[in-house]
Amino acid sequence: MPVVTFDLRDFRRLLGREVGTAALLECMDALGMETQIEGEEIRIEVPHNRPDLLSPEGVARMLKGMLGIQTGLPRYRVAAPRVRLHVERSVSLVRPLIVAGVVREVELDEMSLVSLMQTQEKLHETYCRRRRKASIGVYDLDTIHPPIYYRAVRPEEVRFVPLGMEEELNLREILEKHPKGMEYRHLLEGMEFFPLLVDSEGTVLSMPPIVNSEDTKVTVKTKNLFIDVTGLDERTVTNSLKILMCAMAERGFRLESVGLPGGPSPDLSPKRMRIDLKRACQYIGIKLGKAQARRIFRRMRFELSGETVLVPPYRVDVMHEVDLIEELAVGYGYDKLEPAPPRVATIGETHELERLSRRVRGVMIGLGFTEVMNYILTNPRTNFELMGLQGEAVEISNPISQEYTILRTWLLPSLLSTCQRNKLYELPQRFFEVGDVVLPELRGESARTIRKVAAVQVGGNFTQMKAVAESLLRELSLKVEPREGEHPSFMEGRVLKYFRGPEEVGLVGEIHPRVLLNFELGHPVAALEFVLAEHA
Amino acid sequence: MEELSREAREVLRRLREAGGTAQPQEWDMDQSAVMRGALALQERGLVEVKEEKRYRLLLTAEGKRCLEVGLPERRILRVADGVTPEEAGRMAGLKREEVQVGVGWLRRKNLVTLEGKLLRLTEKGRSYLGQPMPEEEALLRLRSEPVVDELDALSRELGRRGLLEIREEKRRILSLTEEGWKVRLGPEVEEVSELTPELLSTGRWKTVRFKRYNVLAGVSPTYPAKLHPQQRVIEEVREILIGMGFKEIPSRIVETEFWNFDALFQAQDHPAREIHDTLSLSKPSHGTVPSELVGKVARAHERGVAGSCGWGYRFNPEVSRRLLLCSQTTAATVHFLSSRPSPPVKVFSIGRVFRHEKIDYKHLAEFYQCEGIVMEEGLTLRDMFGYLKEIVNRLGFEKVRFRPSYFPYTEPSAEALVYHEGRGEWIEILGAGMFRPELLIPLGIRYPVLAWGIGLTRLIMLKLGVEDIRMLFSNDLAWLRGS
Repeated sequence: MPVVTFDLRDFRRLLGREVGTAALLECMDALGMETQIEGEEIRIEVPHNRPDLLSPEGVARMLKGMLGIQTGLPRYRVAAPRVRLHVERSVSLVRPLIVAGVVREVELDEMSLVSLMQTQEKLHETYCRRRRKASIGVYDLDTIHPPIYYRAVRPEEVRFVPLGMEEELNLREILEKHPKGMEYRHLLEGMEFFPLLVDSEGTVLSMPPIVNSEDTKVTVKTKNLFIDVTGLDERTVTNSLKILMCAMAERGFRLESVGLPGGPSPDLSPKRMRIDLKRACQYIGIKLGKAQARRIFRRMRFELSGETVLVPPYRVDVMHEVDLIEELAVGYGYDKLEPAPPRVATIGETHELERLSRRVRGVMIGLGFTEVMNYILTNPRTNFELMGLQGEAVEISNPISQEYTILRTWLLPSLLSTCQRNKLYELPQRFFEVGDVVLPELRGESARTIRKVAAVQVGGNFTQMKAVAESLLRELSLKVEPREGEHPSFMEGRVLKYFRGPEEVGLVGEIHPRVLLNFELGHPVAALEFVLAEHA
Repeated sequence: MEELSREAREVLRRLREAGGTAQPQEWDMDQSAVMRGALALQERGLVEVKEEKRYRLLLTAEGKRCLEVGLPERRILRVADGVTPEEAGRMAGLKREEVQVGVGWLRRKNLVTLEGKLLRLTEKGRSYLGQPMPEEEALLRLRSEPVVDELDALSRELGRRGLLEIREEKRRILSLTEEGWKVRLGPEVEEVSELTPELLSTGRWKTVRFKRYNVLAGVSPTYPAKLHPQQRVIEEVREILIGMGFKEIPSRIVETEFWNFDALFQAQDHPAREIHDTLSLSKPSHGTVPSELVGKVARAHERGVAGSCGWGYRFNPEVSRRLLLCSQTTAATVHFLSSRPSPPVKVFSIGRVFRHEKIDYKHLAEFYQCEGIVMEEGLTLRDMFGYLKEIVNRLGFEKVRFRPSYFPYTEPSAEALVYHEGRGEWIEILGAGMFRPELLIPLGIRYPVLAWGIGLTRLIMLKLGVEDIRMLFSNDLAWLRGS
């Protein structure tokens, strides 16, 4: 989950009323958000579905509702557009979507400026999927001469000074030299034209989704803001703008729309959703009067009117009635919901695969073998090479390390690793594992998962292990046919294989000295491995 | 009277012969056998065992020399009157250290005094010119190397001067008690240590005497074969759930993205689906998916179902076919729900899940999850809390509380925190929620379904008191035995 850190002084200022630390933490806990306050910082784990809480303004707005400082739906006035934005057709192939808004009468200090930049970055990282779906630009409007143009240009055609630099670069050079250029250039890879925002005098605002220009930079002296969001995903683009504009409004700044070809942007009117209050209460398991429900919704910054809930524009997570039901439940308080004891009787049952595994464990423990558990993830060296084998296994495309690149195809290699690990303990040692292996079915484009049992005895011989194998088969009433066989991991003439019909289902034998040495073992090892069942 | 061992009898017999008291060191008998016998007799009050300490006094080489040529003080005394110590030494033929020692002794015993630099015999000194000093008498007596019970001051002094070696000797003295004289010994019985089949079959076990064991003596440790500690906790959880009427369903290792994510209403660009979160497969890379269901799920994602607005993006059915290692046991649950069971339903699964996680003391790439659902008509959020509370209580945690949480496929969602007495803190143990309609409707489910998941590996760590998560798969024998 994304973690945000706000300046506590700025945050308290946004709350508008003195709130004790304990009350603050208790409230955050009731909302299910892990929160820490340390020194002059407040650190919050924000759920993935709440990009509106990536800003201190958003969190303060929510808390104000919970604490009763300010409840009900926040209504945001958006003035008629004075700035126009022209979208040229050339962008349709590179980054087709754009929305924009204006914020007037801005008063930023160091704290709120830093917080604005941080909110923008957090939105980029999470909700905008590292600028892939959308990217946000914020500018000092007074450095711009509207109307503004959104167009695609050849990268070598335009030069400007990117944010934080001193020299003019062309767009291609920015991708190669500017830190943000290097970080995000993959988003423009293979494109012949790059998106660009310029004003009527040719001043570059930004090169979305990479970097703004130095000329239009926002400072503490900025009085008016121009905000744009460009991108590929319509919902993300419009929602990001709504979230940021609403946050600005929480600071008391005035919002103004921008004239776009499709009409003014943004639309900050609330979304209307139907709720069946009776059913909602039934779903939670509580009884609520209309007035009570209305109060709870107001606390959560919604408005209930009749059978309709007005959803604030920044609540982009609300998709369905159930989301409103959760608001109702959280507002009511999870701690006030008395758990209802289970009442419907059903019959419990262990899965047959686990029943079989349990029987096998019982037999093996009875025979004096200690259970071990190994990873299913392994590598070809352990699974094949050290065992003197070659073979195919299911392969991971993005392994964590060279140690875990495939899924094990049998259990004995991990058991020999277990022996290696316990070399310093006294002999004899007897280990077994009941676990899954996965075999690739390359033709059928799938994999077979098989539950198996394997056992090893360090300082044991063929005869002892064959006795164990037969004991296991007898206890499980498995009908199999033993046949002489050979296996590269075992000593010649000391392997017995078991068949069910044409299928080999198990083997027992003495591990080959070469394999023993591969695992740095200094004593003979007798081993067995059997198929128990194939998974669904 | 209990039967006496052969050794005890022998000791008793010899003591009687010796008149009741003897030093067994002098006997031609194995001394440890003597002691076993004597101690057994002492336990029965037949014999008293005493230990005495004595000293054997032996003249050292220096002691013997002094006996021949005289002690340094004697040799100085003879010539001392009116000369310096150095001159006296020369005249007596002594080395410098000897002179120092001799003069020292003489002055300490007040046999000479120093007048300026010259030695003068005292009255007492003069008297010794004609008679032996006590040390000299002692040396003469010690020629016989006597053994004494106590050390006198003179011997100690000679010992300190290196003229005498004092050896400590212990000796045991056994003496019969009154009871020991009176006790009647029965006929001698054969003593054996092991009960053999031969003794049993011949009936000889009735006549032999079995050696008594020291039953308090330590033995070397032996360890039972047992279940893996993780498996024991898993079995415990399974038993709890089955006791609550849950039926177990299997979980899978290799899964398509469809079942692992799409069917759970997790948008295809959800952060949890990114390459650094799950382990995807390259061989095989794609699997088969139920195309009709994929279509329904795709619609739920794109436009929403049942009044939902959906995620509003272009669903890619190719992504659905991609294979990965199951990253959440919910996949198994949803698989099961697609078979459209009728309520009431309670099922659970326990399985390994895989994450793209670097292994360290807190993280594994492969671990256990336990997940369950309840499907019932009219199920409420309070019912969900009821189930969670029951599960958590049965797991041994008494105090539990709930707080809101977020999962992409449940709404409302909650997490259960339990109070861990040992650590004195609240610990997240369970995540839960009511499945979203966007998940249920495409599967054809029209009843409310609550789902919960336990981070089983975390629970295992809590139960086993393991701090380093890697220990769980280390298979270290000492840990396996001790846990």
